[in-house]
Amino acid sequence: MKEVKETPMEACESCAFYNAAQLKKLGVNVENADFVVALAGNPNTGKSTVFNALTGLRQHTGNWAGKTVTRAEGGFSYNEKRYKLIDLPGTYSLLSTSEDEEVARNFILFGRPDVTVIVADASRLERNLNLVLQVLEITDKAVLCLNLMDEAKRHGISIDDRTLAKDLGIPVVVTSARSGEGIPELIKVIAQVASGEIVCKPHKIKNLNSKVSEAVEELSSKLLKAYPGLPNSRWVAMRLLDGDQRILSALKEGELVA
Amino acid sequence: MSDQNNQIDDIISFASSLRWKVGDDFHDKLTEAIYSDAAVITSRVETKGDDEKSYHFDRLLDRILTSRRFGFLIMALILSVILWLTIQGANYPSSMLNTLLLELIYPTLKSVSASIGLPWWLDGFLFDGVYMAVAWVIAVMLPPMAIFFPLFTLLEDFGYLPRVAFNLDGLFKKSGAHGKQALTMSMGWGCNAAGVVATRIIDSPRERLIAIITNNFSLCNGRWPTQILIATIFIGALVPSGLSGTISTLAVIAIAFLGIVFMFLTSWLLSRTMLKGEVSTFTLELPPYRPPRFWKTIYTSLIDRTIIVLWRAIIFAAPAGAVIWLISNIDIGSTSVASHAIEFLDPFGILIGLNGVILLAYVVAIPANEIVIPTVLMLTVAHFNITGFGAGDGVMFELDSVSETENILKTGGWTLLTGINLMLFSLLHNPCSTTIFTIYKETKSWKWTSVATILPVVFGVVVCFLIAQCWRLLF
Amino acid sequence: MIPNPTIALLIFSILVLLIYLGIKTRVWNRRTKAQRLKAQVEDVLKQLYHVQHSNKKATLNAMAGALKMSDSKLVYLLEHMAGLNLIRLKGQHIYLTESGTDYALKIIRVHRLWEKYLSEETGIDKSEWHQRAEMMEHNLTADQADELYRSLGSPRFDPHGDPIPMKSGEIIESSATPLSGIHPGKYVRITHIEDEPEVIYKQIINEKLHIDQQLKVLSCDDNKTRFLSEGIEYELSTIVASNISVKELNDEESFEAQAVRLSTLKEGEKAKVVGISKECRGANRRRLLDLGFIKGTTIETGLDGPMEEPKAYRIKNTLIALRNDQADLILIEKIAS
Repeated sequence: MKEVKETPMEACESCAFYNAAQLKKLGVNVENADFVVALAGNPNTGKSTVFNALTGLRQHTGNWAGKTVTRAEGGFSYNEKRYKLIDLPGTYSLLSTSEDEEVARNFILFGRPDVTVIVADASRLERNLNLVLQVLEITDKAVLCLNLMDEAKRHGISIDDRTLAKDLGIPVVVTSARSGEGIPELIKVIAQVASGEIVCKPHKIKNLNSKVSEAVEELSSKLLKAYPGLPNSRWVAMRLLDGDQRILSALKEGELVA
Repeated sequence: MSDQNNQIDDIISFASSLRWKVGDDFHDKLTEAIYSDAAVITSRVETKGDDEKSYHFDRLLDRILTSRRFGFLIMALILSVILWLTIQGANYPSSMLNTLLLELIYPTLKSVSASIGLPWWLDGFLFDGVYMAVAWVIAVMLPPMAIFFPLFTLLEDFGYLPRVAFNLDGLFKKSGAHGKQALTMSMGWGCNAAGVVATRIIDSPRERLIAIITNNFSLCNGRWPTQILIATIFIGALVPSGLSGTISTLAVIAIAFLGIVFMFLTSWLLSRTMLKGEVSTFTLELPPYRPPRFWKTIYTSLIDRTIIVLWRAIIFAAPAGAVIWLISNIDIGSTSVASHAIEFLDPFGILIGLNGVILLAYVVAIPANEIVIPTVLMLTVAHFNITGFGAGDGVMFELDSVSETENILKTGGWTLLTGINLMLFSLLHNPCSTTIFTIYKETKSWKWTSVATILPVVFGVVVCFLIAQCWRLLF
Repeated sequence: MIPNPTIALLIFSILVLLIYLGIKTRVWNRRTKAQRLKAQVEDVLKQLYHVQHSNKKATLNAMAGALKMSDSKLVYLLEHMAGLNLIRLKGQHIYLTESGTDYALKIIRVHRLWEKYLSEETGIDKSEWHQRAEMMEHNLTADQADELYRSLGSPRFDPHGDPIPMKSGEIIESSATPLSGIHPGKYVRITHIEDEPEVIYKQIINEKLHIDQQLKVLSCDDNKTRFLSEGIEYELSTIVASNISVKELNDEESFEAQAVRLSTLKEGEKAKVVGISKECRGANRRRLLDLGFIKGTTIETGLDGPMEEPKAYRIKNTLIALRNDQADLILIEKIAS
């Protein structure tokens, strides 16, 4: 009952998307969109407020974790391009394999959106980076939306967003979505990442101990040898080492590579 | 292709051997690494001011709202205010809708259909059956939901509801449930279907199923009017007229409370038997308080919760109206299908202290509890050939006068026992079909949907049976 | 028309009784005679393996006692098994043949995998793992066991710390010693908790002792073993302590002498997280990790709540409510303020 706009799943022959079929399988109709944008983030970060501010829709998500179990969809236009926005369930992580995390994870991994916007609570940055760093292992095209900046200021927290952008290797946009502050900038940056104007060099997880990181590298290079186009071999390797059955079967079905 | 398959098999067995080498705590190591990266980055970009003062208000509020002394008091107060606002506030719009839909539009529809010469069966089927049921559901259901849900949503957006879950978790844990079930249960007092949808906030599989299956024990607003009417007629009459109002109110509250008792009992039972194997976790974040934006919240909760649930109810009520009209107007031999069914169900009904009319009403009114009483009245009048009431076979009706309703029911053979058992059965029977459908959509499992549907009926039949037999043994 | 209430109640009571008996005796999944025989053969094999593994010799009497079986029944089974070339009888003693050992290891593999499965993927209480695995070990085929092994991510040990035999029959030998034989003053780690007999296992569970818990042995005599762990002093009778196997800490590990349970954190105190106990498994463990209960993270008390539990803790600037049994499994080191 959360779908804001229910669109029938139709065949999509005219789509130029290489991943159109995958998206269709996930129930997303991309017929009338030039780019697909996913919205990820922790619960209680005002993710739905950002979604509403971007799309002009009024989707309600309360002050809870895991409220949007199914996805909400909306759209916006900018510079004559049409963007389809998918609101993913709010999750703390993508590793625990609960139902809502799986929905979010599968979308970013298999749907391969053109841009993934990660909404983070500026007043609780460290906690939110857990999800951010995981998303950056999966996708190269991401934008960090540092939301609730007004609240952070109220608590005397200030964040050096330029250094943050440099450290993460992706653009960072500071917003206060409740008052609409920063939303135009966010749209602009989304467009730039989607069109390839901005190229991201995302941060990769570093502090793994040597035994673990060796295993990850070994498996990752083996994966790359088998699938030269695999964009997130390191992450796939990590999931395989964690014994993730869904990724294992995706590998067997060939869902991971176009 | 087979070459690639080989490669995949190779990778999988390699991964498995690596996994064996790395050990079972890979997940721990990975999460630690991510968080330590996060800590490094945060320390480079974040400057913290003097935060203690700015958190002062939040923390003070938290201490009051979850304190030993005031925590429960404040919760009870807020809940009573919400229920009072809902019940009192819904009266006026409900009677207005009733006037509009049943006293203005309905006769107009009938006269229009008469003037264009619709055949009696089509006219009856459409307006006496389908339209009537839908109108009834809208008039009874819409106003309380339109008040109850926005109020709830405001509290949710402010951040109070997680504190309620926090306060009550200790109690719910004892029956194997999650504290958040307190909230889905309260939502159930508005509407069970909405309560079932609300269980999404419970992220532990076992506790979520418990909350879904037991939500039906929350007396939903479709059942409150039934309880109040029957309590007034049968329980209120037991005491002097000065006290009857109070006593019948207390009786209804006792039934709602009994619902809570059954909810805890069933939760306890399920968590130790059928649901033992489901994974159970507990996490509860208490988010910072945020002032809700009043109008936006009202708007979105109307759209999100009220309208969607109402729409579902209408979709289910329409065919029910049709069925009710049809069984009353199609005859086999010289009597209607309805009368045959009543005769057939009567012995079992009597056995459990009810009667055939009530059972048939509950069967055909599965789509919405709101239309149980109108259906009962219509069936009673038709079956016992009582003249002077209602608008004909298959046309549901209600009476403004409680004493006339009482006369009809007593002519139909009702006793105090029937009244008490009807109140119990109204609490303990299958969820309405809107809720059943919602349960299926949420669990995607026929098994749990059947359990949620059948379990309450079994409870209801057993409880009514035991009370009826003991009653007959004693009196 | 209205039936006699006494008779109605009587019929009802009989019905309820029948349903209750039906559930209790599980009439719907009784085993066939052939299945019962197979299960008994497998139980004998397993018992023989355990006896030989502990370097003892199996005799008819001891076996019949351990398996709670009559001598005649056991003799019948042994003859049947000898016919299948699973065992050899030599004098008073019974030996496993090579194929018998393989068979026994296969059963043990299924048993331990199933316990691992129950501990990771279901919410079944740990006091029931063993019983359920006893049922399941007779039902799974070798292929199904392999499937399970893979889906669990190739685990090495079952939740009691016992090694899971590989498909090839290989098995990791562990060099653990019973806790009852450790000298005072030694630092050890629990590697295995024996789940049989049930009475003693339940007692160990009630003491909230679990795999990987570090402890310091304080004293040890013929009757009692006293030790310190996670800020709590324990005293166990020797009979209980001998069902707990331990290993001395290696060079990489250091005894977390200051480590106490999060549940002991008092209002106004601050602490650093030392780790999450191995006892916290599956989805629960992953959730806690995701919420930031990571080694080195600062944590303080948040809200007490109106009841005994849950209590809320402030971690990474967020209030997280935990129940007491969760707070018992998170180890912290208090920071002097």
